[in-house]
Amino acid sequence: MRVKISENLDDLSGLIEEIKGVSNEVGAIIVFVGVVRGLSSEGERVLRLEYEAYEEQAAKKLENIIAELKGKYGIIDAIVEHRVGVANVGENTVYALVASKHREEGFKSIIELIERLKHEVPIWKKEVTERGSRWIEST
Amino acid sequence: MVKVRVKYFGRLRELLGVKEEDYDVEDSTLADLLLKHIPSRHPEAANEWRKTVFVTVRDDVAMGRDGMPILKNHFILVGGRSPDLTYRLRDGDEVAILPPVGGGDDEG
Repeated sequence: MRVKISENLDDLSGLIEEIKGVSNEVGAIIVFVGVVRGLSSEGERVLRLEYEAYEEQAAKKLENIIAELKGKYGIIDAIVEHRVGVANVGENTVYALVASKHREEGFKSIIELIERLKHEVPIWKKEVTERGSRWIEST
Repeated sequence: MVKVRVKYFGRLRELLGVKEEDYDVEDSTLADLLLKHIPSRHPEAANEWRKTVFVTVRDDVAMGRDGMPILKNHFILVGGRSPDLTYRLRDGDEVAILPPVGGGDDEG
């Protein structure tokens, strides 16, 4: 298990090799890549996203989530990398990789991992559009 | 002396214009820190602070049955744990005040 909160993401093909090397029981690797979309949910043109994290706690929370997914779905391992700082349209902001024996538990895990990443992990983002900026917060 | 470090994130960091700061909070609870110490150091932002962090009714902070203020979706961690607002601050505590985490779908 590896979690990284940083201004830079590592090379994705290296991450795939890294997680593949964890065990020779790996039969599937599911990869999620989050990309800054150029259009907001309100239809405004997005200029950039600005991410901020409570880094120690964010990493700890992600490690707990991964440990729970291992117990729940029996996945072999997971790696998550998340950007902080400014991310422009088209740039990658999140890599999440799940390695499992079979694809089914991998698909289930990656969906839950990303949902929980977005709602439970202390990482905040500000959306800057051509009309202004706002913190994206659940209510 | 009871010295604590307070960390702000997202909207709160922007509101107060500071990422973290230290407070001397002799004989104070977490509620005292949030309701008294922080607003009095940031008078220009105090009203907005109260409205952002707490449930308010006509500009007054709403109190729960336990006599404690009611937080508005915010989450407080002290040394990585989440005590209630009656928690009595201790020297060296790190208090993190976390706005709601957004979800959103700007990416992915």
